[in-house]
Amino acid sequence: MPKCTFIYILLLLLAFVSSSCHTVKPYQRAYLNDENMKLGKANNEKFSESVHTYREGASGGGNGKASGGCSCN
Amino acid sequence: MKKKILAFGFMLSSFLSYGQRATDSVYKKQKISETDIQILFSYYNQNGDHSAVTGGVGTEMLHVYAPEIIVNHQIDSLNSYTIDGGADVITSASADNIDFNKSSASRIDTRSYLNVSYQRKLKHSDTHLGISTGQSIESAYRSTPLGFSFDHKNASGTREIAASIQCYFDDLRWGLLDPDYYHPITVVYPYELRNKKWFTNYQRYSYNLSFALYQAINRRMQFALFPELVYQKGLLCTPFHRVFFNDHYTEKVENLPIQRWKIPLAIQLNIFAGNRTIIRSYYRFYWDDFGITAHTFKLEVPVKLSATFTVAPLVRFYTQTAAKYFEPYAQHALDEEFYTSDYDLSKFNSYEIGLSLRYAPHAQFIKKYFFQEVALRYAYYERTNKLNGSMISLLFDINHSGKKSK
Repeated sequence: MPKCTFIYILLLLLAFVSSSCHTVKPYQRAYLNDENMKLGKANNEKFSESVHTYREGASGGGNGKASGGCSCN
Repeated sequence: MKKKILAFGFMLSSFLSYGQRATDSVYKKQKISETDIQILFSYYNQNGDHSAVTGGVGTEMLHVYAPEIIVNHQIDSLNSYTIDGGADVITSASADNIDFNKSSASRIDTRSYLNVSYQRKLKHSDTHLGISTGQSIESAYRSTPLGFSFDHKNASGTREIAASIQCYFDDLRWGLLDPDYYHPITVVYPYELRNKKWFTNYQRYSYNLSFALYQAINRRMQFALFPELVYQKGLLCTPFHRVFFNDHYTEKVENLPIQRWKIPLAIQLNIFAGNRTIIRSYYRFYWDDFGITAHTFKLEVPVKLSATFTVAPLVRFYTQTAAKYFEPYAQHALDEEFYTSDYDLSKFNSYEIGLSLRYAPHAQFIKKYFFQEVALRYAYYERTNKLNGSMISLLFDINHSGKKSK
């Protein structure tokens, strides 16, 4: 898939998701505040992500270090 | 009945808030301190037969033991700091082949690190500013990170934006941990290639500019977008990686360009489906100017078996194209400027499957100390070029909270 097509799809998806956002009042956030709903990496995911940084060419993207700090990358 | 409970709840809450207003005149500002202590034990092992140390052939057997402790202390409602320290003890069969000496120190290496960060919340705004630094040391590597961060939540608390810049200043010379020197001496080359100084540079600089947008979509869905830009400059190759050429005679040290741009862009969508099941999905697109384009898809489905116990199966798929400087053992032509036989930069797909168990009682066990959670995560990892490994992490989370009058 060409890179620009991919970016268009992503932007369209983002626009769709953003437009469908509702205001969620604090007392309606029981599900959102659940520990498993947290965005970003979970605490015990950190080590797996560091292994992927060692063993794969790609890194970063909200899931651990993108470079530096070890001889791996 | 439900309506009655709700009405009673509202009455009670309005009564309590009225009560709070009445005591405002004798209000005493309180400083609430809280400390969160996380202790992590992790282990990773792998095996394969494409070691970069021996030019793309040979064992890749590796064991990593990684204890870590993270202490986050909330000093008051505005200030907090985090201390993160640990060690990665690495037993590597391929690293031992740097000098073909089985008793050499390269067989067991240790990376020790300590990072400190401070974060301050701005008054009258849900905005945080942070600064971080630290040190990471192993036998042939020293890294000094320096970072700045910013995050802001909107008034309704449904959207958060974050930005950070993280810089790493790395020194790739060996000698810092050697009792004969205790300071950096030289870059380590493979034993038989030490008759030549392959590189004059021994430093590597990395600059990571990352952004994040967190958005609640409705009561059960939220997503995040993570665009990032990374620039690296300096000695980007690993100087003890061998490369063998197609004349079946020439052997050199791996050589890669002195700068690299990376662009990862990731999106995460979490959905609370039903009353017990959460769907955590993640996709990342990655591009860099070494020629690697990669796609990562990850799915984790935590299921709450009870209020305190969660089980989460997970699966991850990854695919990447090869770096334009990669060729297998004895395939590189002599006239090439840059060359590597590191299979981490080759074309491959990988998958990972695993299971995560989490017990989170949030129970008090000693005065002011709360046992937050214990979590165990296991994953099996396999690449299409025959490398496979397993990783396991065990996390303990303890919280201490106390109130101090100011």
